[in-house]
Amino acid sequence: MKRKTHKHRILVVDDEPNVLTTYKLILEQKGYQVIGAISSAEARAALDSQELDLLLCDLSLEEKHTGFDIIDYARQRQPDLPSVLLTGYATVEVSERAAQRSVTVLFKPIDISEFLETISAHLRNAHEQAKASGE
Amino acid sequence: MATPQMRVQGPAKLEKLEAAEQGERRYVASRRHAALRLLAAERSEEIYPVLLEEIVALGFPRAMLEVVDFDAGVLAPVASINCSKKYQQRFRTTLWAAENPIVRVLHSGTPTVLPDLATGRNPLYCHPIVFRSRNLCWEAEREHRSDCLALANYRRERKVQLQEQLCSICEIRAYAGVVLVDLTREHSERDLADVRSLIEIANRYLSRIFRTEHHYNRMTDMEVTIRQMQTVMQSMADPVILTDAQHRVITQNQAAERFFKVPENVSEGRIRAVELNNLLFSAALSSMSVSGGEASRDLTLVDAIEGEEMLFEAVCAPTYGREGLRTGLVTVMRDVTDLRRADEEVRANLALLRQAEELVRQDRDRLNLIVENVGDPIVVSDGAAKIVLVDPLAQELFGSENADRSPIQLRNQAKLDAYVTGFTFSFSDREGGPLRLVHPGSRIEIEYDARSGKIYDERGQVAFTVTVLRDLTAVRKVEQLKLEHRMLEIEKFAATGRLAGTIAHEVNNPMEAIKNAIYLLAGKLRPEATPVYDILKSETERVARIVRQMLGLYRNTDQIGSVDVNNVMEDTLLLFSRQLERGGIRVETRLDKLPALVGSADQLRQVLSNLVVNAKDGMPQGGQLVVRTRHLPALDGIHGWVRIVVADDGSGIPESMLHSIFEPFVTTKGEKGTGLGLWIVKGIIENHAGKIRVRSKPGRGTVFKIDLPVVR
Repeated sequence: MKRKTHKHRILVVDDEPNVLTTYKLILEQKGYQVIGAISSAEARAALDSQELDLLLCDLSLEEKHTGFDIIDYARQRQPDLPSVLLTGYATVEVSERAAQRSVTVLFKPIDISEFLETISAHLRNAHEQAKASGE
Repeated sequence: MATPQMRVQGPAKLEKLEAAEQGERRYVASRRHAALRLLAAERSEEIYPVLLEEIVALGFPRAMLEVVDFDAGVLAPVASINCSKKYQQRFRTTLWAAENPIVRVLHSGTPTVLPDLATGRNPLYCHPIVFRSRNLCWEAEREHRSDCLALANYRRERKVQLQEQLCSICEIRAYAGVVLVDLTREHSERDLADVRSLIEIANRYLSRIFRTEHHYNRMTDMEVTIRQMQTVMQSMADPVILTDAQHRVITQNQAAERFFKVPENVSEGRIRAVELNNLLFSAALSSMSVSGGEASRDLTLVDAIEGEEMLFEAVCAPTYGREGLRTGLVTVMRDVTDLRRADEEVRANLALLRQAEELVRQDRDRLNLIVENVGDPIVVSDGAAKIVLVDPLAQELFGSENADRSPIQLRNQAKLDAYVTGFTFSFSDREGGPLRLVHPGSRIEIEYDARSGKIYDERGQVAFTVTVLRDLTAVRKVEQLKLEHRMLEIEKFAATGRLAGTIAHEVNNPMEAIKNAIYLLAGKLRPEATPVYDILKSETERVARIVRQMLGLYRNTDQIGSVDVNNVMEDTLLLFSRQLERGGIRVETRLDKLPALVGSADQLRQVLSNLVVNAKDGMPQGGQLVVRTRHLPALDGIHGWVRIVVADDGSGIPESMLHSIFEPFVTTKGEKGTGLGLWIVKGIIENHAGKIRVRSKPGRGTVFKIDLPVVR
């Protein structure tokens, strides 16, 4: 009921336009409201302008900007914002940094069903936490 | 020639001549009786009493006969008639008493009438008798000599020298004596002449008997000598054979009979052996007799009793008769079988000894050559760990006993002593260990690898220890170079990996877009396009997996350094612990204490991840994963290995694929595999100078064994 009235809002950040577009299409197909950002500047602008339910962010962005920067920026505004890091680099270092921030890491190429499951799981968790804190 | 007839004739003739000489035929006739009596005497001592009796029968009151005892040098009575003991005693005298008239008569050889010496009443007729003969003795006759003693005495060529009464020819010692007859007033010249002729006859007979007796005695003596010689010959253990000029056997001893005399009641074979021996002996004699003097020759004879072949050395000497003619040969044979055998044995042993000596010499030379060319210091110590021998290189390090040694050499020696003592009294036969010594010349510390062995004596005690010091400088240098080379290889692989990773990463994003696009197309195509869509989808997924595998090769943190394999293993297992748990897989780990490796931790993590994932994939129904690490110290003590074992009891690898699983794009996982995992694993292990092996049985499981070298 709430789900039908309120569409979850997801910010997807990826510097590859085609990748960004396809993520957006897939998520919209699943009924989410998707905001795409092609750069860290766009992402910041999107974060500044609205409340979000989930952040999906590629690790490597333009000019040495990383997904962690965006996640850190987003968490300054919404500390409990569920975030998922997408990356092709399966390194221990990345895993450790992600774990510090309790950020889920999905390694590219991403299995789409796993991708969707992770997203829905995060949103459900956030909803339950909000409900718990609201009461 | 002396013939028996002559000997019979002789005295008769003589008698006649003497009778004619004296012109007294009447005497011969009347005194024939007395002569015959004397002639009847067979032995010399029988003549004395007969003579004295006949003298008394002529009318003389008493008569006495004295003979010379040459051994005692005494003239003593031996027979008498009507003479008292006391009377006889008065005529006993030594030959040296020159003033004694009787002795003087004896020397002069002339019958003499002496005034009465004893009583002063009657004169005494004194007639010397001595061995004499008108004829030469047989020896003198045969040897054509005229200096016969008997003849010399007969001719009275010189005074009778009693000291010389020994014949130089027949070795007869003459007898000498006097006949003493008491004269009374009534005895005429004629009576005296009768007595004289009687005594002369008696002496002639006596001489004849005496000569026969002498020859008889000589014969008896010779028989004794012959018997003695025979005993000597028989008692000789060596065969002795006397042969005549025609090589016919005259006599032989028992030892010789054994070989040359045909025994009675024996087998044909033995007789043949004897015949053969005789033949061989004759042949040997013929060849030896040609040489003239003494000769010797080897002769092989068959022992007729034992049947054995025996080797003799025959020594042969000619025998000569009186006239200097060769009468035959004496052959003495010495058994040299044992001697020759021993000689041969000695020769053979000598040859063997020489051979052995040569071998030993060669060995020693070889050993010396080796020792000199080993190029490493060598030290030989005795059972008490005292140094007995050093080669020139070792001498440089430790100095020599006699020379002054530098403090460096003394310190080196102390270190060596400690090591050698430890080894000598240890229980091990061989030992090795590091020894850091300072080279006295360059004063640089050199690391040596000391290798020692023990030499035991026959009682099992340590007799010597040999220690070879191997200079490890060069080895260490090579190791360093190898390490550097390996690191370079790892670096190269990492660079390749980075390149592959970068490419994969670049491919990754377009891949992501393609994959997503394909997903979005699902259900939006006409049904006839579905198979095409499926191909698009599955092939894209395959590319995605390859890209993912290649991405693994790229690591930002890729660094070469000290790696603890156990840490990497624990990390990896932790990373996959949830997946393994979910797959129903029990993990058994046994991680021994390991030395650190030099290499890339990330690459090794990739290796272990691959193996763990493979094991997991091989056990879709769950199972057991065994992970082991352990340290294998190498025999040389310098290097060692770290062994990693990853084993599962899953589906295993088909035998047909086992040999090719490390090749790229070979997979057992069908569509899901990339075929790159194990290829990358092998590349990484080989870059770490390691080895990887696999054993697998379909349905039983798979075991991967990795050995990685340790460099200290």
